[in-house]
Amino acid sequence: MTDMRQHFHQEMADLEQTLLNVADQAEQMVGMAIDAVCLPDMDLAARVVQLDTHIDRTYLEVHDRWMALMARQQPMAGDLRMMSVLLHLNTTLERMGDQCVNIAKLAQVTFGLPRSERIVAQIREMGDLVRPMIRTGVEALVRRDLDEARLLPAMDEPIDRLNRNMYKEVVNCGSDTALLEWATRMMMVSRALERIGDQVVDIAEQTAFLLTGEMMEFNDEALGKSGDNGNAA
Amino acid sequence: METVESASLVEDVKMADLTIEAGAARPHDHPVAVETRDLAVYYGAFRAVKDINVACVTNMITALIGPSGCGKSTVLRSFNRMNDLIPGARVEGEVRLDGINIYGPAVDPVEVRRRVGMVFQKPNPFPKSIFENVAWGARVNGFKGNLNELVEGALRQAALWDEVKDKLRESGYSLSGGQQQRLCIARAIALKPEVVLMDEPTSALDPVATLRIEELIGELKERYTIVIVTHNMQQAARASDFTAFLNMDEDRAGYLVEYGPTEAIFTKPRQQTTEDYITGRFG
Repeated sequence: MTDMRQHFHQEMADLEQTLLNVADQAEQMVGMAIDAVCLPDMDLAARVVQLDTHIDRTYLEVHDRWMALMARQQPMAGDLRMMSVLLHLNTTLERMGDQCVNIAKLAQVTFGLPRSERIVAQIREMGDLVRPMIRTGVEALVRRDLDEARLLPAMDEPIDRLNRNMYKEVVNCGSDTALLEWATRMMMVSRALERIGDQVVDIAEQTAFLLTGEMMEFNDEALGKSGDNGNAA
Repeated sequence: METVESASLVEDVKMADLTIEAGAARPHDHPVAVETRDLAVYYGAFRAVKDINVACVTNMITALIGPSGCGKSTVLRSFNRMNDLIPGARVEGEVRLDGINIYGPAVDPVEVRRRVGMVFQKPNPFPKSIFENVAWGARVNGFKGNLNELVEGALRQAALWDEVKDKLRESGYSLSGGQQQRLCIARAIALKPEVVLMDEPTSALDPVATLRIEELIGELKERYTIVIVTHNMQQAARASDFTAFLNMDEDRAGYLVEYGPTEAIFTKPRQQTTEDYITGRFG
């Protein structure tokens, strides 16, 4: 088969690769941000904030390249769907980077405060669930694998559950004001991780759209539960 | 008002009702102005198109797209028996205009061509005045009404009146290419056809004149059913309500691959062949 639009398809593939690199970076930033909170490690927190400036720069660059491709190439059908996915992915990854910065800054403002090891363990657990989710979501897109994309809502479920449970953990911290301040911030960390999980489900939905042409919410129910603990953004 | 109704009609059409794997493409529950039934056209021994089943919805714009030589223009010409004029051309199957097979024994091809007008690739005004270009068809068809009103009405519908009203006696050739094509559209619609066929009507025009014709086509569908052949896929995407994609088989006979709402064809075609063609992967 001859590709009569080789140049366009190559540019689109380059754009996708740029975003896949950002996704890898975002996944690493999630790990670093969690370490920054849990160890705690202020150098790591600062590094996350710094890395996000790179994601922000790439976001703007991808946006410009995307606009130019749309204007000049006017894609159709599967190409059009891919371009739509790339635009969505760009925004989603940029927001994921922002959530990592939120976590890193919470690590900074809680530095030196007393901590609950139960809560630290729970944050770790959420991180251990979110990072494979990001890898799976990206892999499903790269492989154009609908079945793999459909795994994501189920992977997100325990993260949502842990996030809902965080409220109780904070209440259990008792009346120590300093500990409560730390714990309340950790509720925000938990919320940020829960949002990242939802963002990965969004990427999976985009993969499904790319492959089927149908845009659908994978897990309305799970997304709707995010405000259950009164901790909505 | 008619435009609004037409637009909502398209939205109401369910993709599943319209997209076909093979065989008949008949939009359910919509009035059909002209349709083909197992149409095949031969030029001598060569079968140019085969198994064409496509139904053009009344007051909608249907675009025929496909690679060069796939028989788009052949199908278009079969809608008003223009193929009759080509020596050795032969038609099998049916083309139904309001349910009547126009290739039936009792059908007068001249009457068919009055009811199904045509606009060609290159503007081809007659070597006559602007007025006569529009009035001529009506005159030879024995029109007894007010010719001035007829000409003005057709020129207005073709969005040309304001530009030519003060020079109706000047030659049609004095107009620009885009104006000449609108004059040809006025000439076609002066006969009050039901269907207007357009065979690459903008391929000889500059981009501004092209967009103007596309806008005009959108307005004309309030009164006419329009079938347009275009090489320009963006034009099909911009200007049509339904799109039929034709391809060629190994014998170089054109066949219908997919037919459906334009929006569906250009965002989510059902057939891989369609996807490959409109994304530039073929061969």
